[in-house]
Amino acid sequence: MTEEKKAEERKKRRTATEAAAKIGPMVKAMIASVLQARDEGKPIAYTFICCCYDEIIRAMDIVPAWTENYAGICGAKRDAQRFLERAGSENFSRSLCTYALCGLGFDIWHEELGQMPPDAPWGGQARPDVMLGSGQILCDPRSKWYQAAQHYMPDVPVYNVGLPWPPYENDYDYREVQDYYVKYIVEELRGLVTFLERHTGKKMDWDRLSELVDLTDRTWNLIWETYELRRAVPSPMGTGDAMNTMVPIVFMMATQQAYDFFKELNEELRRKIANKEGEIPDEKYRLIWGGGLPAWFALTDFNYFNSKGAVFPVETTYRMVEAVYNFDIDLSKISDPLEHIAWRWLKFWTYWYDKARKRPGSHPDVERLIQYIEDYKIDGIVMHEAFSCRTWHVGLVWQLNRLKKIYRDMPSLILESDIVDISSYNEADTRARIDAFIDTLEAVKSRGR
Amino acid sequence: MAGKGAGKGLVAVEEYYQNYGSRARGLKRQGMRIVGYLCAFVPLEMLTAAGLMPFRIKGDVNEPITKADAEMETIVCPLVRSCFDVSLKGKYEFLDGIVIPHACDSMCRTYDIWKYTLNLPYSHLINMPHGTDEPSLNFYKAELNTFRRSLSRFAGGEISDQSLTQAISVYNENRAKVREVYELRKTNPPLISGTEVAKLLIAAVSIPVEEAAELIDSVIEEVKQRDRVLAAKPARLMVVGGQVDNIAFIDLIENSGAWVVADDLCPGAREFFSDVAVTPDPIDGIAERYLRGIYCSRTFRERRGSYQEYLEQRFGHIGRFVKDFEVDGVVLYIYKYCDPYGFDVPAMKSYIESAGVPVLYLEDEYLMSTIGRLRTRIQAFLELLGSK
Repeated sequence: MTEEKKAEERKKRRTATEAAAKIGPMVKAMIASVLQARDEGKPIAYTFICCCYDEIIRAMDIVPAWTENYAGICGAKRDAQRFLERAGSENFSRSLCTYALCGLGFDIWHEELGQMPPDAPWGGQARPDVMLGSGQILCDPRSKWYQAAQHYMPDVPVYNVGLPWPPYENDYDYREVQDYYVKYIVEELRGLVTFLERHTGKKMDWDRLSELVDLTDRTWNLIWETYELRRAVPSPMGTGDAMNTMVPIVFMMATQQAYDFFKELNEELRRKIANKEGEIPDEKYRLIWGGGLPAWFALTDFNYFNSKGAVFPVETTYRMVEAVYNFDIDLSKISDPLEHIAWRWLKFWTYWYDKARKRPGSHPDVERLIQYIEDYKIDGIVMHEAFSCRTWHVGLVWQLNRLKKIYRDMPSLILESDIVDISSYNEADTRARIDAFIDTLEAVKSRGR
Repeated sequence: MAGKGAGKGLVAVEEYYQNYGSRARGLKRQGMRIVGYLCAFVPLEMLTAAGLMPFRIKGDVNEPITKADAEMETIVCPLVRSCFDVSLKGKYEFLDGIVIPHACDSMCRTYDIWKYTLNLPYSHLINMPHGTDEPSLNFYKAELNTFRRSLSRFAGGEISDQSLTQAISVYNENRAKVREVYELRKTNPPLISGTEVAKLLIAAVSIPVEEAAELIDSVIEEVKQRDRVLAAKPARLMVVGGQVDNIAFIDLIENSGAWVVADDLCPGAREFFSDVAVTPDPIDGIAERYLRGIYCSRTFRERRGSYQEYLEQRFGHIGRFVKDFEVDGVVLYIYKYCDPYGFDVPAMKSYIESAGVPVLYLEDEYLMSTIGRLRTRIQAFLELLGSK
């Protein structure tokens, strides 16, 4: 039975930075700490990344169990299939988000057994006391996954935070509507605090919340400044490493640990730049990872790119921060921490709107690509289309077409597989496509010489 | 309304169904501005009050998706891909604009693709919240007012409360007529087939609402007076799913030995069974109905009470249809890549089955080529029902 199969042992991806190499143990410790919290009776919340509630749950001493992270771990360890099949046996379609299917399969099995599924990766995922979903114009599974999980854990309450941001439209500026967006988000976050107090018995510490909001602002700035260092030629860190360093960004935000991690990474990158030490010794092609979550089970593909002389100084994926001092409002003047969080959210999602407005036919997502292409001296674009996720993987083809139309044509490659479901992946085919792409890059470079 | 439509009764329905968009095309020639939309969540009252004609964009199960793939990923819901594909191929060349609601990822994540590729004079995304709590409702009202202002600019005149209230009345009357059609399905055998109802409702969303009301009236009259009574069949089924904008699947069931007597589909009961309340500020009534009154899996209903009560809150309308229309079995007909309905399948299935009603879950790809496979499943399900 596939269920009984042991996870396939996999060679680890080589990291370019010491900081990135530390992430594996950090994640392992994070998973262990959630299991320990369960034993100690601390309240645990199922949580999604990019949902605005990092500071809130930390200020209330609620322990987050990042369900996308756990599914990603199962995927990276090539041990997700048995959980996907569990979900499938309950009639969840295999075309749905495989993070969700993996998590649901795990929970279904967990509930059936009354204990962790056998050989659960890294000890398994703790049963939650609450589940915190969200409603955005980003991702349906964020409002559906935990609702579906409740079918198997009916005693676990769900709160769904409304977190919209204004669309980019031709006939009005987002500033015309931003006030009612912020008002709504603040009300939803206030509702979340009430919900958490009711269901966990924890009280919000508002002073601590303000401190964590400030810490998060500082961490955002530091991350942005650190990633900007990667503009250097040769680039000291690639997207492969960024798929590790996303951990403090999305799973540890509002903690001193995240801030300290980036301080260390910042110092390491500065050292490497001073020593002209690149991700690889002979950097030939500089690429952007222009969209899509990675195939967690195939991160060694980044090493394969490296072996061909290609590096990724920049990516759009998981770069979920901007420097808050670049926003058009001064967040430090907002005294209400919830309002502060709401404005930061709104200004992040609308950050590229003004710039896009200045270029005929442009769009914020495309404008961001253009800016990165110029800032990081990019030769080609690589994207990844994960079949199970419409959130991050719809619009990639269109963005490339638009880029060509309003900016310039450049070599591009769209890889296809999934985030978790390894059955969608063919290593030989993927690498053949990478080889062909490298040939194209070389041909373009040769023409320019 | 300027000009004339295709006439009356089921003959006119057939004409509108077979030549989908013909009426809009004709009206466009007479100077009417046509705004295409996707999904049941676009408040049509607003478009009509602005003097524009709303036109439901539908796909084509017989048309292979080809052009769309150059701009839109194949992981998008196949219905949305088909709608986009036929739009790119010029089937709806008469459109002046497009409105897309935040119904699901496949719609809202493709909004920019629609907007930039079709490059119509008008486009708008209605940013509906998922939640139905008071803050979500208030936010949605603000969004509707943004839509109202945006649409007014395009239409070249303010959308007054009076015109909105009038449009609300017209749409409510239209919905009441559709409910009257559904009453004809309660008898055994039904007075009107599921295929005829599907054709009628698809036709109705392609023509101006006033003409749709006349058309529905004429069909009711015709059906009540026709001599031929539909033959008795051993099973009465209900179909639940997203947008089913062609008759292929309903027809398949009815050719396999059952009547489809009820549905929770679009176009279908989902969008015709709840009215907009007439309120001093018409936006209040519209917001309440579209956010809370349409039972679609894309909407997140905050739980009240026990889990069993929560299932009732979410799927109770299906249970009521089953009872009122004496349904023997329910078919969950869900498209591949449909996140909102896909995640609801186990809960929905167990809710319906707990009432002793068998459920068949089918995942489909919005293609005629899958019909053979579906037929086998339907026949097996009917055998199962027959053996009970």
